[in-house]
Amino acid sequence: MRITPAEVAALSLSIKVALLSLVIMLPPGLLVGWLLAKRTFPGKAFLNTFVMWPLVLPPIVSGYLLLILLGKHGFIGGFIHRVFGIEIVFSQVAVVIAVSIISFPLLVRSIVTGMEAVPQELENAARTLGASPLKVFWTITFPLAYRGIIGGTILGFSKSLGEFGATIMVAGNIPGKTQTMALAIFSAVHLGEDASVYRLVFVSTVVAFIALWLTERFTLR
Amino acid sequence: MTDSTEIRLDFRKSLGSFTLEVNCTLETKVSAFLGVSGSGKSTLLNCVSGTLTPDEGEIAFGDEILYKSAAKINLPPEKRRFGYIFQEGYLFPHLTVAQNIRYGQPNPRKYSDAIDVLEISELLQRYPKELSGGQRQRVAIARALAMEPRMLLMDEPLAALDSALKNRIIPYLHHIKEAFETPILYVTHAFSEAMALADEAFLIADGEIMARGEPHQLLTAPSAMPIAQLTGVENILLLPVIASDKVRGLTSLEIGAQSLVIPYIEAEVGEVVPVAIRAEDIIISLEPNLTISARNILLGKIQYLDVRSERTWLSILVEWHHLAVKITHEAREALELRENMEVYCVIKASAINRLWD
Repeated sequence: MRITPAEVAALSLSIKVALLSLVIMLPPGLLVGWLLAKRTFPGKAFLNTFVMWPLVLPPIVSGYLLLILLGKHGFIGGFIHRVFGIEIVFSQVAVVIAVSIISFPLLVRSIVTGMEAVPQELENAARTLGASPLKVFWTITFPLAYRGIIGGTILGFSKSLGEFGATIMVAGNIPGKTQTMALAIFSAVHLGEDASVYRLVFVSTVVAFIALWLTERFTLR
Repeated sequence: MTDSTEIRLDFRKSLGSFTLEVNCTLETKVSAFLGVSGSGKSTLLNCVSGTLTPDEGEIAFGDEILYKSAAKINLPPEKRRFGYIFQEGYLFPHLTVAQNIRYGQPNPRKYSDAIDVLEISELLQRYPKELSGGQRQRVAIARALAMEPRMLLMDEPLAALDSALKNRIIPYLHHIKEAFETPILYVTHAFSEAMALADEAFLIADGEIMARGEPHQLLTAPSAMPIAQLTGVENILLLPVIASDKVRGLTSLEIGAQSLVIPYIEAEVGEVVPVAIRAEDIIISLEPNLTISARNILLGKIQYLDVRSERTWLSILVEWHHLAVKITHEAREALELRENMEVYCVIKASAINRLWD
C-alpha cells in the first residue's frame, strides 16, 4: 500500500502553498497586528473588521467573492488579464490567494494578542533611551511578542493546510494542479477510494501534529 | 547652573476629567515634584519625556523648544535624550543587564562609568528576573545614566523598595547628583526623599502646583499640615546636635530654646540632622509636670485645627517649627483645644527617627 504520485502532489502542493502564504502574509500580518495592537488612528475599528471578515464569513462565500474579484471580468482579475495576459482563477496562484485570505485573520489575531501583552511602558522606556519607533518594534515589541507571533504563524499555517471552501471556489479541484490535500481527501471520499482516504488522512494528521510540536519546541525554553 | 539647562514648563494636559496645568521654571540641579498618586506628577514627567503629548503650551530645555503647540513642535522622546527612571524599573526582560545598559548605545567610557557608580559589575550577565528589587533599580539608574542624558527624570525610583533598600539607594542618587552635571527632575510622594535630594521642591495636587520652595521650607511652612496629610508625611525636622551620650544611649537636639532627646546617633555636636516624627506619635498635654516615661515635653502653640477628616489634625508651632499632630476628635473635645492655645507635645525618644546619613 504505497502513497500514489497524485497524493504526493496534493500533499506537496498543500505544504508549498501554506509556506508560501505564510511568507507572503507575515510582513503585512506584523504591520496590521502592530497597528491594531499599538496604535490609535481613525478607521481602526474598520480595519479590524475588514481583516477579521473572512473569519466570520463562510469560506465558500469568501471563495465566491474572490472568484468574482479575480475572474477575467473581475475588478482585479480583469486588470491583471489585460496587463499581463494571465488568468488567476483555477491556478496555483489562486490557491495561494484563497488560503492567504482565509488564514490571515488567525495570523493577525494571534500577533495582536502577543503584541498587546508587551507593556507600553517598556516601549516608552526604549524610546527615552533613544530608540526610534522602528527600532523599538524590532528590539522590544517583536522579541517579546515572539510566542504570539509563532503561535499565529502555526495557526495560519495549519489553517492554510486544511483550507477547503475558498480554495475549491476560486481554484477548483484540478488533480496535479490545484488539488490540495483537503480537496484530494474530498475527491477520494466521493470516489470511494478508501485506501487513499486513509493514507491522506493519516499524512495530514501527522503533518499537523509535527507543526504543532515544532512550535511547542521553539516557544518553550 | 547656567541658563542653557533651565527647564521651562508651561503646558496643559487633560486625561479624562483630570487636568494637569503647570507653569514653572526649574532652575536648580535637582527639582522635586511632591504629590500623592493621582496628583499629576507622573503625567508631568511623561510630558517632559515626550512619551505623552500635552494638549497645548510649551516645554523648553534651555534655548531648545521640545514642545510648542502653537508652532506644532513636538520632539519625539528618542530625540530629547532625557534619561527616564521608572518606579518599576522597566528593564527589558529578554535582555541581560549588560544589554539593557547598552540599549541606549552609550560610549564605552560612559558604560563602564555607570556600572562603576552603581556597583553592578557582578550582575552584568544576569537577566532582570534574576535580580532583587534594589539591584533592578540600580541597573535601571545605570541604564539611564549611561546614555549621557541631558536630564534625568525619576518617577518614584524608590517607591517600590522597602525602607532599608531605600536608604541604600539614596547614597547612589546623592553620588549622581554630586558627580554628574545632569539636572534631575525627581517625582515622589515622600517628603523625606525630596529633602534628601532636591534643591527645590514643587507641591503638586489635583494637577496644579500649590507651592514651591526648598523642601524643608515647604514642610515647615504654615501650609505644611494639609500637605503633610496629603503626602502621608508627618514631621521632618532639621535640628542641630547639642550633646550625645553613647553610654546612656541618647542624643539631644536643639529645638529653639528647648531640646529634643532621641536615641543615640553617631553625630558631631553642632551637626544638623534630619529626624522624623509620626503625627500620631505625639501626645498633647495641657500641663508640663507629668510623671511619665516620655523624655520630651515641648511647649508649643496651636496654629491651626483641621477637623475635616476622621481625626483632628493640629499644626503646633514649637519655637519656629511646625509639628503636625494627629489626635481623635474625642481627645480634642475633652481637652477643649482651640487655635492659639498653649499646649505641650509629649514625644517618647524612641518615636523619633533619624532619616538618612
